[in-house]
Amino acid sequence: MTKWGMVIDLNKCTGCGACVNACRIENNIPNVGEEEAQKGRALDWMQIVTEYEGEYPDVRVTHIPRPCFQCDNPPCTKVCPVHATFLNEEGLVGQVYYRCIGCRFCMAACPYSAKKFNYFEPDIPESYEGIRNPDVTRRMKGVVEKCSFCHHRLSLAKDLARFENRELREEDFQPACVESCPADAMTFGDLENPDHRVATLIHSSRAFRLDEELGTDPKVYYLKKEDK
Amino acid sequence: MDALRKDPDYTLYRPILESDRRFYWAIGFLGAVVVWAIVMYIRQLVYGLGVTGLNRTVTWGFYIINFVFFIGVSHAGTLISAILRLSQAEWRRPITRMAEVITAIVLAIGGLHPIIDLGRPDRVLNVFFYGRLQSPLLWDVTAISLYFTASTVYLYVPLIPDIALLRDHTTKFKKLYTWLSWGYVGTERQKHVLERAMSILMVVVIPVAVSVHTVISYIFSMTLQSGWHSTIFGPYFVTGAIFSGTATLLVVMIFFRKFYHLENYLKEIHFQYLSVLLLVFALLWGYFTFSEFLTGIYGNEPMEMRVIQFKFSGAYAPFFWMMVLLNFVIPVIILAFKKLKKIPGILVASFSVIIGMWLERLIIIVPSLSNPRLPVVSEPYIPSLTEWSLFAGGVAAFCMMFLLFSKVFPLISIWEIKDGRAEGLEAVKERLESYLPDTDVAGEGA
Amino acid sequence: MSEPKTNPSGLIFFLQIFSISLIWIMVVSVITWILNLISLSRYLHDAQNATLIISLVVLPIFTLLAGILTYVFIGIRKARPHD
Repeated sequence: MTKWGMVIDLNKCTGCGACVNACRIENNIPNVGEEEAQKGRALDWMQIVTEYEGEYPDVRVTHIPRPCFQCDNPPCTKVCPVHATFLNEEGLVGQVYYRCIGCRFCMAACPYSAKKFNYFEPDIPESYEGIRNPDVTRRMKGVVEKCSFCHHRLSLAKDLARFENRELREEDFQPACVESCPADAMTFGDLENPDHRVATLIHSSRAFRLDEELGTDPKVYYLKKEDK
Repeated sequence: MDALRKDPDYTLYRPILESDRRFYWAIGFLGAVVVWAIVMYIRQLVYGLGVTGLNRTVTWGFYIINFVFFIGVSHAGTLISAILRLSQAEWRRPITRMAEVITAIVLAIGGLHPIIDLGRPDRVLNVFFYGRLQSPLLWDVTAISLYFTASTVYLYVPLIPDIALLRDHTTKFKKLYTWLSWGYVGTERQKHVLERAMSILMVVVIPVAVSVHTVISYIFSMTLQSGWHSTIFGPYFVTGAIFSGTATLLVVMIFFRKFYHLENYLKEIHFQYLSVLLLVFALLWGYFTFSEFLTGIYGNEPMEMRVIQFKFSGAYAPFFWMMVLLNFVIPVIILAFKKLKKIPGILVASFSVIIGMWLERLIIIVPSLSNPRLPVVSEPYIPSLTEWSLFAGGVAAFCMMFLLFSKVFPLISIWEIKDGRAEGLEAVKERLESYLPDTDVAGEGA
Repeated sequence: MSEPKTNPSGLIFFLQIFSISLIWIMVVSVITWILNLISLSRYLHDAQNATLIISLVVLPIFTLLAGILTYVFIGIRKARPHD
C-alpha cells in the first residue's frame, strides 16, 4: 500500500516562508485582505508555527512548517456529519468542498489547527487571472478547506505514468511546498516504499511527530532541531 | 358565558377570553426584535459567516453557546414535570403545563441554532442524504428530533381535556378546539386511556431528556481538545441543563403569576418547593465544577493547564469568576436562608442562575478553542452585532411564542386542578394512611 | 353554551385524521432516513457498527411514541358516548 508522507528537517528550515507562498499560488488560495487577516481569518494551508524557548536574550527559535498532517487516525473525519472529509486508501485526508455544510466540527476536532474556513466568498483579483491553477477547485464561501498534499499533482503524475507505461517514481509527485523549499528541508514520498528517501528518514533518531501521544498517527514527520 | 364566570377557576380561562393592551404592546415589541433578528440573519446568508466575530481558531461562538444554552433550558420542563408526576407530588398540578410549554418552545428555537451556525445552510439536507451516524452532530439531530417529538406529545396528551373544556365552555376558536380535542368528552374510559398513555409517556420521556443533553456534551467531549475531552461532561451538562431549566421555569412562573393574577394557584409554597430543587442543583453544579477543575489542576498536564489558566487568571477570568458568583455563591446564599427565600429572592437567584449558566457555556466553548495545541496565533473572539441580534431574537421568540400560547391554551392545567379538588385530597389521605403502620394489628398482638 | 360537538363535520374529522397522520409521517421519514444512512455506511465501509447500534436505539422509541399517540386517538374515538 502507498502511504504518502512528508519529512521536514527543522535543522535546515529557516522559516523563510517560500513553502507558504508556493502553496498559495499552487492551490488558488485567496488573499483575504489585511483587515480580515488581522481578525485571524487568513486561509493559508501551509502555516509556519514558531516556537520560542527560553528568555531574552537566550531565545531558541524553532520554525515548524505545518501542512495538514494527513493523520492515519484522523480526528476530523470521525466527526464529519456528511462524509465531506475522509481518509482515502493512499492515506490522504480528502475534503469535498461541494458536500461540506460548513458546520466547522472538523476544525474544532483537529488538534493541529490545520483546517481553514471561508468566512466570505473568496475574492481572487483580476490580476491573478493568468496564474490561477486550473487543476485546483476554487472554494466557495461557507466551506472548510485544508492542505491536500497537492493531490491534483498526484492525479496528473499517475496519468502520466500510465501514459508512459511505467511505475510512478518518487520525483513524479512532489507537492508545491517541497518543490519550492530553498533550504531543501522538506522531503516527500511514499512512507512504505523503501526506495523513497522518506522511508529511511522516518527511522532517523531525530524523527518525531507533533503531539504523537494523541494517537492521531500523523504522516508528517519532523527531524528534531539540534544545536551544533 | 355567565356560567363560566361562576366557575371557581375562571381566572384560568381569563387570559384566553380577555386581552389587555399590555399584551399587544409586548407582542409588538417582541415581534420587532424577532423581525430584526431575521433581517440580520438574511444579511448573514448573503455575505457569509464573515459577519460574525468568529475566526480561524475560535470557529464556534455565540450560535453554539446559545444552542447548548437553549437546549439546556428546555430540560426544565418535560423532565421536571415527568419526575413530579411520576412521584405523585400533588403540588405539581399548577406547574406541569408551564414546564412542558417551555420545553417545546425552547427546543424548537434551540434546534434552529446549529442551522444558523452552518456555513452552507442551503446544503443542510446533506445531513439526510449523506449523513454519518458516527458524527456526534448526527446524534444531536436524532436526539433533538426525538426529544422534540416526545415533549410535544407529552405536552399535547394532558392538554386534551383542557381543550375539550374550552370547546364546551367558550365561543372563541371553536373550530380549532373541536379539531384538537379529538372528540374528548371526559367519559371514564377516555380518562383511563389518557392516564395510561401519560404513565407510559413519563417513563419514556425521562431517559430521552437525559440523553439529549448528554449527546450535546459529546460534541465537545468526543474531540481531543484540552478542556473538552472529559468523561464527566455528560452528567455535567445534564446537571447544568436542569439547573438553568429550573431557574427559567421559576422566572416564567413568577412573571405570569403577576401578569395573569394567578396568585391563588401559584402559591408561595410552590416556589419554596421548586427552589429546593434549584438549591440542590446549585450544589451539584458546584460539585461537578470542582471535580472537573481539580482533576485538571492536579494532573497539571501542560495543555490542560493552559486552558485552565486562561479561565482562572487569563482573558476569561472575569467571566469565569462571574460564573462562579452567579451560579453558586448567589443562589446558595439566597436559597439557604429562610428569610431570603421569598419570591423576590427566588427571582433574583433564578435570574442569576440563568445568566451564570449562559456564561458557563461560554466558558466551556471559547477558551478551549482560543488555546490551540500548536502555538498558532489565536485572535480574541469578539461577537458581532449579528450574533447579539440573533441572541436577542431567540430570547424574544421564546417570550413571544409563550405569550401567544397563553392566549390560546390555559397556562395552568384546569382539569388537573379540578381533579385535585375532587380526587386528590381523598387519594393523598388514603396514600398517607397506607404508609403508616397499622394501629389495630399492634392492638391484636397485645 | 352550545352542545358539545363530538361527532364533527367532515372537514374537522379530516383534520383530526391528518393530525394523527403527522406523527406517522415523521416516524416513516425517520425510518427511511436511518435506513438510508445504514446502507450508506455499508456501501462506504464507514463506521457500520456504530450506525447499526444507534439505529437500534432510536427507531423503537420513535415508533413507541407514535404508537402511544395513536392509542390515545383511537381510545378517545372509541370511548365517545354515541350521540
